[in-house]
Amino acid sequence: MATDLRISNISKIYPGCIANDNVSLQFKSGKIYALLGENGAGKSTLVKILSGVVSPDNGEVFLNEKNLKLSSPLDAKKNKIGMVFQHFNLFETLSVFENLSIDATEDNESLRVRVNEILKKYNFSIDLDVPVLNLSAGQKQKVEIIRCLLRSPKVLIMDEPTSVLTEQETEELFISLKKFCDEGILIIYITHKLKEVLSLCDEVAVMRKGKVVSVSQTQNERVETLANKMVGQKLAKIKKKINISKNKDEIFKVKHLNFYSDDPFETNLVNLNFSLKKGECLGIAGISGNGQNELFQILSGEIITPNTSIIFRNKEIAKLNPKQRREYLMAFSPEDRISQAAVPELKIYENVALNNFKSSNFFEKGLVNEKKIKEHSKKILSDFSVNTDNVELKSQFLSGGNLQKLILGRELITAPELLICYNPTWGLDVGAINYIHETLIKINNQEKSTILISTDTEELLKLSDRIAVIYKGKLSKIMPSEEVTPEKLGVLMGGGSID
Amino acid sequence: MILDISFIGILIGSIMASSVPLILAASGELITERSGVLNLGVEGMMIIGAISGFALMVITDNLFIAIVGSMLSGVIISLIFGFLTQSLLTNHVATGLALTIFGIGLSAMLGKSFVGIPGKEFPILFSSLKESIPFFGPILFGHSIVLYFAFALPFLTNYFLKKTKLGLVVRAVGDSPVSASNQGINVILVRYCCILYGGAMCGLAGAYLSLIYTPQWIENMTAGRGWIALALVVFATWSPIKVLIGALIFGGITILQLHMQAIGFRIPVQFLSALPYLMTIIVLVVISRDSRKIKLNTPTSLGRIFYKEK
Repeated sequence: MATDLRISNISKIYPGCIANDNVSLQFKSGKIYALLGENGAGKSTLVKILSGVVSPDNGEVFLNEKNLKLSSPLDAKKNKIGMVFQHFNLFETLSVFENLSIDATEDNESLRVRVNEILKKYNFSIDLDVPVLNLSAGQKQKVEIIRCLLRSPKVLIMDEPTSVLTEQETEELFISLKKFCDEGILIIYITHKLKEVLSLCDEVAVMRKGKVVSVSQTQNERVETLANKMVGQKLAKIKKKINISKNKDEIFKVKHLNFYSDDPFETNLVNLNFSLKKGECLGIAGISGNGQNELFQILSGEIITPNTSIIFRNKEIAKLNPKQRREYLMAFSPEDRISQAAVPELKIYENVALNNFKSSNFFEKGLVNEKKIKEHSKKILSDFSVNTDNVELKSQFLSGGNLQKLILGRELITAPELLICYNPTWGLDVGAINYIHETLIKINNQEKSTILISTDTEELLKLSDRIAVIYKGKLSKIMPSEEVTPEKLGVLMGGGSID
Repeated sequence: MILDISFIGILIGSIMASSVPLILAASGELITERSGVLNLGVEGMMIIGAISGFALMVITDNLFIAIVGSMLSGVIISLIFGFLTQSLLTNHVATGLALTIFGIGLSAMLGKSFVGIPGKEFPILFSSLKESIPFFGPILFGHSIVLYFAFALPFLTNYFLKKTKLGLVVRAVGDSPVSASNQGINVILVRYCCILYGGAMCGLAGAYLSLIYTPQWIENMTAGRGWIALALVVFATWSPIKVLIGALIFGGITILQLHMQAIGFRIPVQFLSALPYLMTIIVLVVISRDSRKIKLNTPTSLGRIFYKEK
């Protein structure tokens, strides 16, 4: 039976922000619909309304001309609307099967039979009895999808599903989604990735600042046209920079980096060796959970490993802690902006002061020199075009992009010789990503080096001079980036080998 | 002192009796914490259970009413905690501490007129078997019904958490309240129920002290057992069976060191008094070393305030 989902005049206002402004859209089964927009455009709010997590201030939702009252997630479930959230809604410490059984109405035996049928039908391979925290992001997403499929949904909503997937996993996902679509499930695909819209979806609705600004057939669109609709202005295109000359001095060299952990949730690192020249960007690709966390922590000095040699500017720094390394002009931007890079409850200038370096004079005789820190913070805010000039603002109220700019600014204002960053643009929108990429290219042009650990292959290809792939704690050979293609990276990231 | 077999039997029996309040309170708190709620008011709920149980016994002369009443009083006082933390979203730690201070003060006030009144003998089961079988008699028989319940409780709790649907829901809520809520589980309701259940068990633990273990009312008679129960839950890494082991070790060494003091061992008294705390921690740390299991048993959202998006 055909499904027809209609959203009519939905509005949702949060204090100080109109998340959805009179949104009306129509979806019909047999097609894949994209809902495109930057972070904060109102996509997630709309999706939360459809899945019953949030109730709208105004407006109605019709499924096959029936007015739905979606006041709780249960209502969405009852009406066969399935939802795969961007931040997985799974219970990490429970097993896969327990996760699936928690809202099942049938007994465990028949549920297991049905789950196995789904696994077989769509070629998913997942061990049902391991805790979810042992799964890769792609597998977790499959668990979420299975949970939806178990309720034979009419509508399946996918919220930014590929942000944590590899190229291969993304392809697999697209194949599955097309299958679901052929089986008559109406698919709404939320994303800010333009290429995915073009390759997967039939129709695209673009949202900006809470409003739907355009609805069109994807065959009539190109990356540029969609980007301009999404951002509302013409975006400057970043050019991939030209490779630097080979005769530069070596600035950073890692030898025999080994890491062994008893914790089964950490990855062991096996004999990593690499070096870096002045003004060079070394990209380290890989699916998250293959040792990037550990590598970042070792490079930043949070973990000290025995028998490892790290030479930086001709000094052995392997035994130094992060603060000492900073004094040798290294800088770090960790993956998790909220919990590792900044303290969300602290004000902006307090977060800036956390990274006190020797020459900063932020502290005198054990007292805080608030005036100096605030001046310094103001400079960072303006130099790195953070969207506020109020240094008293609590950091948690900054958007992801602005927080990342603040962190990068904090790290870069000390003019470091080497910046190590891990997923610097994770979850950011196009505008912010552009800005951060420009910044990273700029510091390379100033003869400063960067190590870019990232799960985003596009970003790596754009910024790196050389690229290596980390898989299960081992580093592939390091390749000049002009020899690397997304396909090659995908193979290496999945544990395969090339040539 | 004669270390014969029947003496050891009696000793073990008394160790079991002394660990009952710990087992009850810790099992209750374990369920509460598994749902993600950290209630530091265990001591307060226990002492309220103790005075209300004793007072009801004196007033009604009915032990059944006293026991049920003590559990109800635990429920009522934990309801205050639940309302504050779940409905008004106050901080778990501060609210729990306030609850303990409140409980100790309130019980002292209510208990003024009950000081010095002798308790009533609590019926014990299988008392004839206790005398007739050497060694095993005093261990297995001649205890109150509450003791048998307490020793079954960790196993029931384990079964509940691992095998039942409701237990799965409790674990899910403790793991990720946001996910649970998005799956349509009423997180606040589940947490209320777990808090109230914890209150009931703490009330019962208190009543065991004032009605059975030392049948009388003494101000502050829980003497820190609530805090021990709290520590047991954490050191047992939220595993009911390990809570039982920990409670027995603590009770056991408490009793043993008293005997050692009485005999006059040449060990400083202060060290002997500290021994139960030290040994319990050491043993539980050693048996809970498996970091994987810890991660799987720890309620990830413990102590964090959850509020539903509107």
